[in-house]
Amino acid sequence: METIKNYLETMFANLPNTLEVKKAKDELYSMMEDKFTELIGEGKPENEAIAIVISEFGNLDEISESLGINNVVSEMETTDRRLISQNECDNYIADSARRRFFNSLGILLCIFSPIGPIIFGSIGNAVGIDAIELIGVILLFICIAAGISLFMIASFLMRDWKFLDKELCTISYSTAEYLAREKEDSQSYKLVLRTLGIVLCSISFLPVIILDTILGSSFSIITEGFAPALIFIGAGIGVFFIMFSGAKDAAFDKLLSLNDTTTVAGNYEPVKKVKKEYVSRAAEILMKDYWKTVLAIYLILSFTSFNWGSTWLIWPIAGILRKPLTEIFLKK
Amino acid sequence: MIEISSDVIRGYNDTIILFILLDEPSYGYDISKKIRALSEDKYIIKETTLYSAFTRMEKNGYVESYSQSAENGKKRTYYKITELGKKYYEEKCQEWHLTKEVVEHFIRGEQ
Repeated sequence: METIKNYLETMFANLPNTLEVKKAKDELYSMMEDKFTELIGEGKPENEAIAIVISEFGNLDEISESLGINNVVSEMETTDRRLISQNECDNYIADSARRRFFNSLGILLCIFSPIGPIIFGSIGNAVGIDAIELIGVILLFICIAAGISLFMIASFLMRDWKFLDKELCTISYSTAEYLAREKEDSQSYKLVLRTLGIVLCSISFLPVIILDTILGSSFSIITEGFAPALIFIGAGIGVFFIMFSGAKDAAFDKLLSLNDTTTVAGNYEPVKKVKKEYVSRAAEILMKDYWKTVLAIYLILSFTSFNWGSTWLIWPIAGILRKPLTEIFLKK
Repeated sequence: MIEISSDVIRGYNDTIILFILLDEPSYGYDISKKIRALSEDKYIIKETTLYSAFTRMEKNGYVESYSQSAENGKKRTYYKITELGKKYYEEKCQEWHLTKEVVEHFIRGEQ
């Protein structure tokens, strides 16, 4: 029965999403279902029943008049939407995951960047040579430079997929269903990574508290240098996991939102859920370049306040705020 | 085996469906099943043909549709013939007699 439904959905995929079309689809489906049920009842094997139902379905062109369309077939031929195959979808998802990996790694390096000044600053203090702190500052810039290079590599990775934003593209019903299923399957993996990330962020404070209590102020290199540095290592890796956990989801959503909502295919349930429309152009720009905006705020705040010990908190806060902000800016 | 040409029968799909509906209101698959049985498996009407006939005849006022749930809970659209539909059916029957008579003259039979 699933095959018959897929067949019908594919036939109707490019038709406008109107009441007449929906009625016709439902009515035809009902007849096919009746026929299928009876054939199975007569003891026909499922494959044969499917073949009979589909071969006796007829030609959609015949009902074009009742659908209020002049010609279904020519309508389908003139759609200049580029059809993205299932294979291309898989490649896109792989590339998106790779891009997200580089982006997350870039953010990790940015969060790691204060480790240099903290450790070398405390060493400098301990041995009484301030110049050592300079090594830390150099390390900070190397980290940020490497992080930014990774962001650039990430955006370079996606150059082959620019057409997705420029051209009108579409995916078939079966591809949409495949993607929705894959997305569903990837949720547990996502949850594990995300939980791991949150745990790492939360416990990153522990070493500094524990070591401070045990050692007191006697080992300043450890309590003021290595222990605070562990906060950034924990938080950095934690944020990396949280960021990377949603890598594939974003790609699935993007592909599922390709279909025009005015067509039957675009009205397919998982597609409807991911279609994003923002309240204003400004909101759209902010939300699309969310992490770049956060990075800018992070760097500005860090360099003006030089309070590296607490500015990294921007990352988890930004991560938490992303969902509610999206809710606010999305059109209902 | 010679199959029926859909071009020839097209003008009489409405007549065939209206004939089925003369006795009692019915729904899509039941109508197609009856057509198949009455024609002794010689004419299997396509789903799209059936649906386009329904909408066309409803627009012309020959049939009325209403939905009704079957015993198994499945909701189906039932079609019922109207007075106008019965009149149209009578006309088509007469038209067919004439058509048959005319075409008959030009058929070299192998009876």
